[in-house]
Amino acid sequence: MALPDLSRRQLLGAVGVGAGGLALSACGGGSLGGDDDDNGGGGGSDGPIRVGLVIPQAGVYTPLGVDMEAGWQLWLDQHDGQIGGRDVETVTADEGEGPDTGVPAIQQLISDVDVVVGIVNSATALGVAELFAEEQKVLLIGNAGAVALTGDASNEYVWRVSFNNAQNSYAMGEYLAGQDIGSVFIICPDYAAGQENITAFTEAFEAGGGTIAGTALTPFGTTQDFQPFLSQIQGSGAAATFCFYSGGEAVTFVNQYDDFGLKASIPLYGSGFLTEGSVLEGQGPSAVGIRTTMQYSTELDNEANAEFVQAYEEANGSLPTVFAMSMFDAANVLDRAVTEAGDVSGDALVEALGGLGAIDDSPRGSWEFEDQNPKQTIYLREVVDEGGTLINSVVEELGEYGTI
Amino acid sequence: MADWFDANLVSILNGFAIGSLLFILAVGLSIVFGMMDVLNLAHGALYLVGAYLAYSLLDGGATWGAFLGALGLAVAFGLVAGGTLSVMTEPLAKRPILDQALLTLGISLIVAEVLSIIYGNDVYRIGAPPGLDGSVSVAGNTYPLYRLVLIGIGLVLAVVVWLVMERTSIGALVRAAVADREMVSAMGIDNRKVKIGVLAFGSVLATVAGVLGGPVYGVRPGLDETVLLLALIVVVIGGLGSIKGALIGAMVIGQVDSLGRALLPELASFILFGALALVLVLRPQGLFGPKKVAA
Repeated sequence: MALPDLSRRQLLGAVGVGAGGLALSACGGGSLGGDDDDNGGGGGSDGPIRVGLVIPQAGVYTPLGVDMEAGWQLWLDQHDGQIGGRDVETVTADEGEGPDTGVPAIQQLISDVDVVVGIVNSATALGVAELFAEEQKVLLIGNAGAVALTGDASNEYVWRVSFNNAQNSYAMGEYLAGQDIGSVFIICPDYAAGQENITAFTEAFEAGGGTIAGTALTPFGTTQDFQPFLSQIQGSGAAATFCFYSGGEAVTFVNQYDDFGLKASIPLYGSGFLTEGSVLEGQGPSAVGIRTTMQYSTELDNEANAEFVQAYEEANGSLPTVFAMSMFDAANVLDRAVTEAGDVSGDALVEALGGLGAIDDSPRGSWEFEDQNPKQTIYLREVVDEGGTLINSVVEELGEYGTI
Repeated sequence: MADWFDANLVSILNGFAIGSLLFILAVGLSIVFGMMDVLNLAHGALYLVGAYLAYSLLDGGATWGAFLGALGLAVAFGLVAGGTLSVMTEPLAKRPILDQALLTLGISLIVAEVLSIIYGNDVYRIGAPPGLDGSVSVAGNTYPLYRLVLIGIGLVLAVVVWLVMERTSIGALVRAAVADREMVSAMGIDNRKVKIGVLAFGSVLATVAGVLGGPVYGVRPGLDETVLLLALIVVVIGGLGSIKGALIGAMVIGQVDSLGRALLPELASFILFGALALVLVLRPQGLFGPKKVAA
C-alpha cells in the first residue's frame, strides 16, 4: 500500500494537514451535516474504506503516535490490508500536542474519510466529539482517557477502545485499601486527567477504609524539579504514594523520587502510564519495584498477546506498548463492526458496535463495550529487571472495571 | 524557628543548587545581552546541545572520563557556536534588537529540530559521575550529593567570571567596548573581535550548564524553551549585564522555585511569575540594573 505513506508524507510537510485536507475535501465534496447519500468519502458498500488515523507526529506525544501507528499497521498487515473484507486507505493526520492543532486537523480530515481512529489528547477529543455527531460519522478513540468523552460529553458516534482515566486509579484505590497499607499521599499534574485520577483514587481508597495523608497538584508541563513536593510527601507521614504521571514528567518524577531517597522508605504506586513504554528506559533502575495498574502488559499470559508481542517485535524491533495494543484493537473492533454492518455509514456502524459483545481475541484479554467505553480487566503490575530489560510483570488481576 | 529550619533545610539547600545551575546558564545570556546588545534566544538550544552531549558520552556508563570529555566537547562547541552566532548577527548589528532576536530564535528552532531528529523524542536520564552519584543525609532527609557539589561549582564559576570581567585586561577591553565603542576602535582594536569573544564566552557557559544540569534535569525535547524562560526571568530580575545581578537573581529564583513551592504548594503554578511581576513593578530595571550611561 503506497497510499498511506504518500499521504503521510504530504501531511508531514510544512503546509501540514490544513492544505492537504483542504485539497482532498474539495475533491470529495464533503459537506457539514451531510445527508445519507453524502456520508462517506469512499461511498458505496464495496469500494475501499477510508480511515482517518489521527496521531501526534510532533511535540511531546510523538512517541505515542509512533506506537499507535505501528499497532494499527500491524493489524492491517496481518489481514491483507483489509477491514470487513474491504481494502483500507489510511489517511494519517497529525494532531500535534493540543486542541489548537488537533481540532483543525480533524475538522479538515473528517469530510474526506468514512471513520476516524486514534487521538491521544483528551482536550482534542472533547473538542471534536460534537463534530462527529453533526457529520454522523464514527470516532474510535485509541487513547484519550477523559471520563467525559463517554460520560457527560458523550454522543452515540464517539466510541472508545482504550480506557477512561478513572479505571486504573479506581482499581489501585480499591487494591491499596484492601492491603491495609496505611495513609497514602496523592500527587498528580495539575490538569484534567490528573484531577480525574485523584477523584477516582480517593473515592475508591476512602470507600475501602483508607486515609489520604495529603494531595499535591504539580504545575503541568513546567515542573522540572519535584523536590518541594517530595519534601511535602516526606513531611506528611504517608506510608505510600500514589501518582499519575506520563511521558517526560514520569521520567523526571520517578528519578527524583529515587534520588531524594523516598523510594526506599515510601513505596510508589501509580497509574500504569507511569512506567509504560519508552519512559522505562529513561527511568532505569529507579523504576524497579514500582507497582502500577493498567489494562495491559506485554507479559500477559494469553495466546492472542503472545502472538501480538511476537509479531510486533518482529515488525518494529521493540516491545509493544498499551498505545500500540489499543490501535491494534481499534482495527479489530472496526473490522468486526464493518463485517456486521456491511456498510460504513455512521448509523450502521453505531448499531453494529453496540451489538459486538465480547472482543475475545484482544491481547489485553477479553473485554466488551459498556456505555461505549471498554469494560476490561485491570492488572496489577510491577516493574522488574529481566536480564537488563525492564518489563511490567503481572502480579495479579484486580477484576473487571467498566464505567465508574 | 529551629524546627521550621530543620523541616525546610532540604528545600533551602535545593534552592541554592538550582540557583547555581541557573546562574551558570543565565550569566552568559546576561553578559551577551547587557554588554553586546544581542538578545541570544538560541541560549536555551545551546544548553540542550550540552545536555545531549552529556547524554551521548555518559550513556555507556557514567565515568569521570566521559563527564570531563562531555565538558570539554561542550566548551569546544560553545566556542564555535558563539563565534558563528556573532558572525551571523553582525549584519544585523545596526538594525533593531528584535531582528537579532528573531534570527537567534530561528536558529534555536532549527537546532532543537535537528537534535530531535538525531536523538528522537524520548526522555533520557543522565547519571552523575562516580562518587557524586550517591546521596547524603541532611537533617534526617536524603539529598543527592551531586546537587550539593553543583552549589560549589556555581560559586566558583561566579568568582571566575567576576575576576575575568573586573580584574583582567580582557575584561577591561570588554567593559571599554561597552562604554565607548568608537574610542575602542580608535585605539586600533576591532570591536567585532570583542563581540565574537563575548558571544563565544556566553555560549560556552550555556553548553557547560547543559552538561552540568544533565544529572539534575535529564534531557528531553522542549527543555531548551523551559530553561531559556528561566534564564530570561533571572536576567530580568537580576538586571542586564550584571554578574552580581545574575548571581542574586538566580539564587532568588532558585529559592522561590524550591522553598516557595514547598511553603505554598497551592501557589506553585504562579509563584515564579509572581516574583517576576513583583520585581518588575517595584524595580523595572532589575535588582542590579545597568549602570550604563546612555552614549
